[in-house]
Amino acid sequence: MLPVVVVHGGAGHCPKERSESAKKGVCAAARAGYEVLRGGGGSMDAVVEAVTQLENNSLFNAGCGSVLNIKGDVEMDALVMDGQTLASGAVAAVRNIANPVQLSRLVMDKTSHVCLTAGGAQQFAESMGVPLVQQESLITDYARMRWRQNLAPEANPVECQMGKMGTVGAVAVDVHGNVASATSTGGILNKMEGRVGDTPCVGCGGYADNRVGAVSTTGYGEAIMKVTLARLILFHMEQGQSAEAASDSALAYMKSRVEGLGGVVTVDPQGHWAARFSSAQMCWAAAQEDVLHYGVYAGEHLTENITTPQ
Amino acid sequence: MPAVVVVHGGAWSVPDKLAKAVVDGVKMAALDGFSVLERGGSALDAVEAAVRNLEDNVTFNAGHGAVLNADGDVELDAIIMDGRTLGSGAVSSVKNIPNPVSLARAVMEKTPHLLLTSRGANLFAESIGMATVPTDTLVTANEREKWEEHRSYVAGVTEDFNSKCAHDTVGAVAVDSAGNVACATSTGGIRNKMVGRVGDAAIIGCGGYADNSSGAVSCTGHGESILKVTLARLILSHMEQGKSAAESSQLALQYMGKRVRGAGGVIVVSPSGQWAAEFTTVRMSWAAVAKDNLWYGLESGERFEEALPH
Repeated sequence: MLPVVVVHGGAGHCPKERSESAKKGVCAAARAGYEVLRGGGGSMDAVVEAVTQLENNSLFNAGCGSVLNIKGDVEMDALVMDGQTLASGAVAAVRNIANPVQLSRLVMDKTSHVCLTAGGAQQFAESMGVPLVQQESLITDYARMRWRQNLAPEANPVECQMGKMGTVGAVAVDVHGNVASATSTGGILNKMEGRVGDTPCVGCGGYADNRVGAVSTTGYGEAIMKVTLARLILFHMEQGQSAEAASDSALAYMKSRVEGLGGVVTVDPQGHWAARFSSAQMCWAAAQEDVLHYGVYAGEHLTENITTPQ
Repeated sequence: MPAVVVVHGGAWSVPDKLAKAVVDGVKMAALDGFSVLERGGSALDAVEAAVRNLEDNVTFNAGHGAVLNADGDVELDAIIMDGRTLGSGAVSSVKNIPNPVSLARAVMEKTPHLLLTSRGANLFAESIGMATVPTDTLVTANEREKWEEHRSYVAGVTEDFNSKCAHDTVGAVAVDSAGNVACATSTGGIRNKMVGRVGDAAIIGCGGYADNSSGAVSCTGHGESILKVTLARLILSHMEQGKSAAESSQLALQYMGKRVRGAGGVIVVSPSGQWAAEFTTVRMSWAAVAKDNLWYGLESGERFEEALPH
């Protein structure tokens, strides 16, 4: 059963041609995470590697390809959590960083804090020698087009948000049974400057605890926060529910209590995993026992063998 | 339904010379919050009033009297949450705002978001015409002196937190006669914190949480530890399992001590009016008002009772 890695490329719905490329993207990220685990790497290394790949893929709303805020700027949030120690690192509303997930890991490893925000996070990046990148290098034509469309007074950015694959994330269990989670996002389309969503909030965008499991979430951030979705799923698992049942009941609760849609990837320390969503689609991929599992639509579950590293 | 307000003025090793001031402060804030309920205000109004009172009191590390960060600047975090809707608002790393709890409430009521950070939070404050004050107005001479002493950050945050010089977060929880619960938390964070450091206070499920179906919690203590165990949400999950407010608080605080070696304190109310004030630090100033009585304490196990002044 071990090791295992599960990734998501965001919950929402999008046209078929985009979803096909997104499928390829999550599969490549899951393979990359799995290679780390198969080589004896820890679950933290695996989730950071998988999320880094998704941040570098301009199809996804994280790192390069992030959505723009109301002013046309990119402000990103990310979180990592280590299930062995509950150590965690996060950055919120950070700019000019190619890989916020790696900066989050530095916050965890190199500071006595858990979360750094905005200018402070950027100052920390500089002090660690993390290169600052031009904002232009993070912005795609597609992101700029959607930003312009949503400046119109009658636009509904939340509705439109679901038209693109959102937040990215990964969870993993390594051969030692250590779990980890990582999540990264550009946030919500045309958000206010300084808006922070669920992603960098421990227990909302992700959580990892060796005693229970790990979760990374995606979807309508404000709803995810209201129900602390990641922690809620793990509470259900502590009460004896499976990863799948716990994910489904928490997503159903979020829908009924605060009318929010979303998706999650979940693992338990034994390697049972789930990729569940209440949105129309969520592209996800998992790698376990040399088999790659993936899908985008509800009920879709494709597999292929991982024989040669790509 | 019996209306109740409980407040705390921070869990830490309060020095003797401050003991009277903090106890007087929390008593006054609890009475202030309760008078809002008596006039027909909601739990949300009551916690905001109580926390504003503590923010305005220079004895406490929130609003006026906040600690300074590594740059000698004031950066404030606050959250408020309405247990009826799970609606919530928060600000992190905001400057020049004397009552961050009221800005947090404006985020909840006037934006589609839950959390605004740093400059974005200040821009929002400006856009709604909220008054700002110069940083110096928020800083006491005593704090400036302490900051000079602690200027070298090498001491580390944990050491500083355990020393008698640190001081901490304020908060309030309330239940109104309609059975609605609410919580609010506000803080200047940890002295000499890195620029942009966000602790538990602004993070939903960590510094506070409120849900009419289980209760409301406000936390104080070592922020990074509180984040790692999502303390507020953890306490409510115990209450969902049928445990009392006091037992749930003790269990969660003990768990935080054991798992991540963090000390802290919490105040809790249930929708039926049951309440608790528990801590694992040396001291926590707290006060509660219900029916005709005022309760308060500072030392472990201490619980004084007074008839309400008329």
